[in-house]
Amino acid sequence: MKRIMIRSALGLVYVALLVLMLVTGKRHTILIDNKADPNGAYGAINGMSVQIDKLESAEYYPGDRDKAVVKGQRHHIKIELFDDEKVIERDFRLPLNQDMVLLSVPKLVAGIEPYIEPFTVQLEQAGMDQTANQSQEHQQFGTDAEGLPLDMGNPAQTGMEQNQ
Amino acid sequence: MSAKTNVTKFLSEYAVVIIFVVLTLASIAPSGLSIPYIIQEVITRLGRNSFLVIALLLPIYAGMGLNFAMTLGAMAGQIGLIFAVDWGVAGWQGLVFALLVGLPIAVLLGWVTGSVMNKAKGREMVTGYILAFFINGIYQFFVLYLMGSLIPMRNPAIVLSRGYGVRNTLNLESVRQSLDTLFMLRIGPFAIPVVTFIVIFLLCLFIVWFRKTKLGQDMRAVGQDMAVAGAAGIDVERTRIVAIIISTVLACGGQIIFLQNMGNLATYNAHDQTGFFAVAALLVGGASVTHANIPNVFIGVILLHAMFIVSPLAGQKLFGSAMIGEYFRQFIGYGVIALSLVLYAWKSRRAAEDQRSQLRQGSATGGAK
Repeated sequence: MKRIMIRSALGLVYVALLVLMLVTGKRHTILIDNKADPNGAYGAINGMSVQIDKLESAEYYPGDRDKAVVKGQRHHIKIELFDDEKVIERDFRLPLNQDMVLLSVPKLVAGIEPYIEPFTVQLEQAGMDQTANQSQEHQQFGTDAEGLPLDMGNPAQTGMEQNQ
Repeated sequence: MSAKTNVTKFLSEYAVVIIFVVLTLASIAPSGLSIPYIIQEVITRLGRNSFLVIALLLPIYAGMGLNFAMTLGAMAGQIGLIFAVDWGVAGWQGLVFALLVGLPIAVLLGWVTGSVMNKAKGREMVTGYILAFFINGIYQFFVLYLMGSLIPMRNPAIVLSRGYGVRNTLNLESVRQSLDTLFMLRIGPFAIPVVTFIVIFLLCLFIVWFRKTKLGQDMRAVGQDMAVAGAAGIDVERTRIVAIIISTVLACGGQIIFLQNMGNLATYNAHDQTGFFAVAALLVGGASVTHANIPNVFIGVILLHAMFIVSPLAGQKLFGSAMIGEYFRQFIGYGVIALSLVLYAWKSRRAAEDQRSQLRQGSATGGAK
């Protein structure tokens, strides 16, 4: 009985550690956006500096968009507006399963929710389709490489390079 | 014992180390590399490779020779890293995540290896070597066909364009040198990855402590004589399996440390040479098939990698082609293993002959009385 309890406890610790590492180590890309709403609900900010957590701050002007790569779910944003030298600070959480989000600073400053929205890269699929076409072309030549990764090099040689 | 016998014994004991020291020292001048550069490279490679080499110690204590099947642990570590990259877990958390994912796989593979080796007692090294090839096939099947089809993959960037299978080379940028750079100590021109060395130091402490435990003592007893250990009530087969499981798990961690330092993963062949280079390093450090200790690990890694650093450039300067140095590197690696095995066989045969002659002398003296 005691042995089963110890093993169960170890199993729980194992799963808890796995989840902890996933939650605290998960990387997210935040696209920091300073664009006006096309419908005119809010306008772009004339000039500001934005800092996420302890990352280096960057300056943004109307129409600018940049990215910050962060780890974990809880973050802090500090915005310094150039016009009225006002400083806005907010804490926010990112969804665990979202790799990339768009953070609209004008919406945040105007108090419009949600100022963080999921962002999916559309070009990725286009790029993949292109590569898939190339792959099919390659396989049509009837090489024996069918089903193998196209960029598979000489195993022995690559192995040696890895161990340098 | 005569002086000549002493010299012969010393040479046979340390032949590999002596050859390496001489070759490395002779190659430094032609390579044209500065001493600080060589030292920095050796420090980096010491952090990168030592963990993997230490993984070989326990099977040697248990009398199972050089564990070429440590490659299986390396594969488990790589699977862990693939999942860490797929799930976007970055930094040191990514490394721990990879270790946690790889751990049960390494334990399972270690158990399989230990069980197979128990069926092939006395031929563990060649069994481990061939087993590594066999499991490599399963690994390729798993990574090339199951990942992305049966096992869902989240990150399309690491999946092959056909929709399943992992790409040949993975960028480990998210975990690149995350352990090394946690605390990098700079002394003059040298950068020392302190945390990596602390991890290696802790592993050394574990090995020293483990040798003193009941299980560690059992392993040494099994390594010395399985029949005697069995007669003394030690579960020989279980002890051997445990030695291999620990070695495989350590190899899993070692491969993760190795790859985080490299920063990229050759998905289908990064593990191929892992066992080979770890074994070569240990043998260069003065270890043998039956005896190895922690100093052998560090001496071996320093000597082998100092040779690896200087030999390509020395080859280029001396023969006009860097490829000569690259071939030299391979030649040296395999050569060291072959030489050590030959020396081991020669020493074993000679020890048996000495024992026989002593017995003959003893019986002759006894008969004269």
